[in-house]
Amino acid sequence: MSVIDHARRVLERLVAASATERILISSAALLLSILLGALLVLIAGRMTTCTVGDAVYYFGTGFCYNPVLVFDRLFLGALGDPFSGAWSPEGQFSVTLRETTLLIFTGLSVALAFQAGIFNIGTQGQMVVGGLATAVLVLQASSVVSGVIGSVLLIPFGVVVGVVSGGLYGSIPGILKAYSDANEVITTIMLNFIATGVTLYLVSGVFKDPESPANRTVPLPEYAQFPTVIFGGRQDFSLVALACGLLAIGGLYYLLEYTAFGYDIQTSGLQPGAAEYGGVDAKRTIVASLTLSGALGGVAGSMYVMMVLGTFQSGLPAYGFDGITVSILAGNNPAGVAFTALLFGVLKSGTTVVQFATDVPPQLVGVLRGLIILFVAMPEFFRLVGQRVVDPGSKPVATDDGNLEATDE
Amino acid sequence: METAVHLDGITKRFPGVVANDNIEFEVKQGTVHALLGENGAGKTTLMNVLYGLYEPTSGRVEVAGEERDFDSPRDAIDAGIGMIHQHFMLVDPMTVVENITLGNEPRKWGGLAVDRTAARKAVVEIAGRYGFDIDPNARIEDISVGEQQRVEILKALYRGADTLILDEPTAVLTPQEIKELFGVLEELTAQGKTIIFITHKLGEAMRAADEITVLRDGQRVDTVDAGTTTRNALAELMIGREVLLDIDRPSTETGGVVASVSDLVVDDDRGVRAVDTVDFEVCAGEILGIAGVDGNGQSELIEAITGLRAPETGTIRLLDENVTDNSRRQRIEAGMAYIPEDRQDRGVVMDFDLVGNALLGSQHSSQFQSSGRIDWDKTREHAKTIINEYDVRTPGADTSAASLSGGNQQKFIVGREFERDPEFVVASNPTRGVDVGSIEFIHERLLELREAGAAVLLVSSKLKEVQGLSDRLAVMYEGEFIDLVDPTTTTESELGLLMAGQQPDDTGGDEREGESDLTEDPTDVTTGGERV
Repeated sequence: MSVIDHARRVLERLVAASATERILISSAALLLSILLGALLVLIAGRMTTCTVGDAVYYFGTGFCYNPVLVFDRLFLGALGDPFSGAWSPEGQFSVTLRETTLLIFTGLSVALAFQAGIFNIGTQGQMVVGGLATAVLVLQASSVVSGVIGSVLLIPFGVVVGVVSGGLYGSIPGILKAYSDANEVITTIMLNFIATGVTLYLVSGVFKDPESPANRTVPLPEYAQFPTVIFGGRQDFSLVALACGLLAIGGLYYLLEYTAFGYDIQTSGLQPGAAEYGGVDAKRTIVASLTLSGALGGVAGSMYVMMVLGTFQSGLPAYGFDGITVSILAGNNPAGVAFTALLFGVLKSGTTVVQFATDVPPQLVGVLRGLIILFVAMPEFFRLVGQRVVDPGSKPVATDDGNLEATDE
Repeated sequence: METAVHLDGITKRFPGVVANDNIEFEVKQGTVHALLGENGAGKTTLMNVLYGLYEPTSGRVEVAGEERDFDSPRDAIDAGIGMIHQHFMLVDPMTVVENITLGNEPRKWGGLAVDRTAARKAVVEIAGRYGFDIDPNARIEDISVGEQQRVEILKALYRGADTLILDEPTAVLTPQEIKELFGVLEELTAQGKTIIFITHKLGEAMRAADEITVLRDGQRVDTVDAGTTTRNALAELMIGREVLLDIDRPSTETGGVVASVSDLVVDDDRGVRAVDTVDFEVCAGEILGIAGVDGNGQSELIEAITGLRAPETGTIRLLDENVTDNSRRQRIEAGMAYIPEDRQDRGVVMDFDLVGNALLGSQHSSQFQSSGRIDWDKTREHAKTIINEYDVRTPGADTSAASLSGGNQQKFIVGREFERDPEFVVASNPTRGVDVGSIEFIHERLLELREAGAAVLLVSSKLKEVQGLSDRLAVMYEGEFIDLVDPTTTTESELGLLMAGQQPDDTGGDEREGESDLTEDPTDVTTGGERV
């Protein structure tokens, strides 16, 4: 009982934490995960063999892996070594930003659904559908226009194709949930498989590039891909796409905070009973928010095709699933998604740098990444748990007891 | 007589607020002691100190003459203190015995297994000793709220409580169950147990308690003998000014029909008929009351009218328009205000602040928008108006609804709904959990709306309230309007019988099939107890 009481108090404390406190807690968690990770690197380094020259020495003991170097590469390497004086926009930093851009869209997709109280696991599928639709339709349209005018017309067109196709694909679980009470977790997972399977069939058949052995569509002409600004073309990153991502963050924030539709979404997510009472059409809100969520996933697909690959190839990386973590880590807050997407971008791009620079096995780097995410996510996770466990109705009231003056403002 | 509990100079501060200010509180063993005060007077805080949930900022806690320092409820329970919260802490799918013994189960096989026979025996024994009539094998979800409360009391007794704290125990009970509860309390004190009874209801404090301690704004005002005090004296102690306890309902001109319902049939969640062919009309400047024991279809009727539940058949008209198939939002926009029965589930969004809650139901209205964008400044002003006008006790508009006490949430909801300038008001227990001063205020506002020409449909489980406020009073029993009476000429006992499904002058005693065509002519039905 006393253990439960204690746990309850900790949860209450977490639920009551202010924004500053939450940032401090997250920072402390990040630091702690790095310390624990460093320890793991040291232990792993004791259990392997290496030449004397490669080893580092702490307290007179030799270790094969250098934890300082590992974390230096993981973070500073991912940022393109900003303190080395040799920083260039062509370097690793643009890889980080590329990953960030894609994760912003998938993260927002999941976050929007979460705001409405819906768990959209289907962002991956919506991204796949949006990607293929963009690759096919932009290719068709690119035969009509070309050059600079082609870029100006085709890129927005591609994004719109992503929005529409992803949105339509997202509306399917929405309609199923609203009108036949089908659990969205199940339907979106199933629709992920369907999206992957059907697109594989299409790119290995009708839409297959005859000149390539891979299952991919005919590559888009250069002018139908995102232009590279400042950041050179070597790393497949476009500042324009990142700007679109930031615009989407701002737009979603505005939608949630300043529009009646956003109010409806949040109310439904927090308290469906009150939403219904307040005149929110529950069915419409479910369909609309999943459609919008799918549209954002679809845009991630367009971006991937028009910025990274230049074609649609089966087996898209799991940006959609990473989006779930990005969103939860950000507390499903659009503004927070910017930061967590960057953190994920850094970790993803830093992993490859670590593998180049050290002998640390990739599995261990994966463990370090996992630790960081786990530690940063846990306080927020327990906050969510706490909000459910600590019933506000039975919580003794501290704010209004006998406080008469406060109302006379 | 010995002192069971003595709280000596208890002060409890929260950031910015003194919830308890140097309170002296003494309870004699074997008595019922009522702790009376308005919402937010500090009653629950004080009892949470006694129960070990809060550590006092200063002051001493003495139980049975011994000074105690509780770190957690566990310590308080060990010292013989038991608390029955307003929201029961029971596990629904488990049986009565399982719930009572939960965490303190008798063991067998060296502590490896729960000794169910011993557990059952112990529960039956305690229940028998205090005269509780309860089926030990019933599941919590299958028994009534009153019985659940008795399970809570048994749980505290099973854990060895000598002093029981009951937090607003009557809030969830029907009049009959309240009577039974008071009987239980009598039995308990006769056997030497001590009861502390938190309430804001004067009548109950006087009926059930031996002594009454009144708190106001975190301070103890007085402790009086329940036998010698009067309602008005208590009310004045509680509020700090004189209160009009009786409802003064001026007569008004009734206008045309604002809302009407005909042949309405509504099913509940399980598909069971809850409202069976109900007809009525509410006119401008009139309050139509619906009395009845909770669970006789009132909730479903209200939900159908307000657009939260689709009726099976029948029509609902609002201002000459058929709104039966209209959405909830369309009904709000047509001028319907609604004070819901369940405020924490429907009436407020607990995680929103009061500004966000002030917008609930009006989020699409142009009143709070400028060029398609929600005007939060205007909404904030609106929230502040509600807070000020309806005396919502809160540090400010940015406080979350969850941190307000129930009574203050209720006042906020009432304020928000009344500020809509409604044509038609549906009020379901508008003063539930609200203190006397605010009840008076809400009643006045309801009557003001009526005078201004609004039509009001009032459902309340408080007989005095519906009787005092209504121009016409319908009695609902098993989904039907079994009678429509003039509240001024009908006695409480006649109403009580009607609520139990009997006509006062019914010789056969059989329940009547209600073909209650109440819509025909409201002026026709004037005398109490007469058939419509």
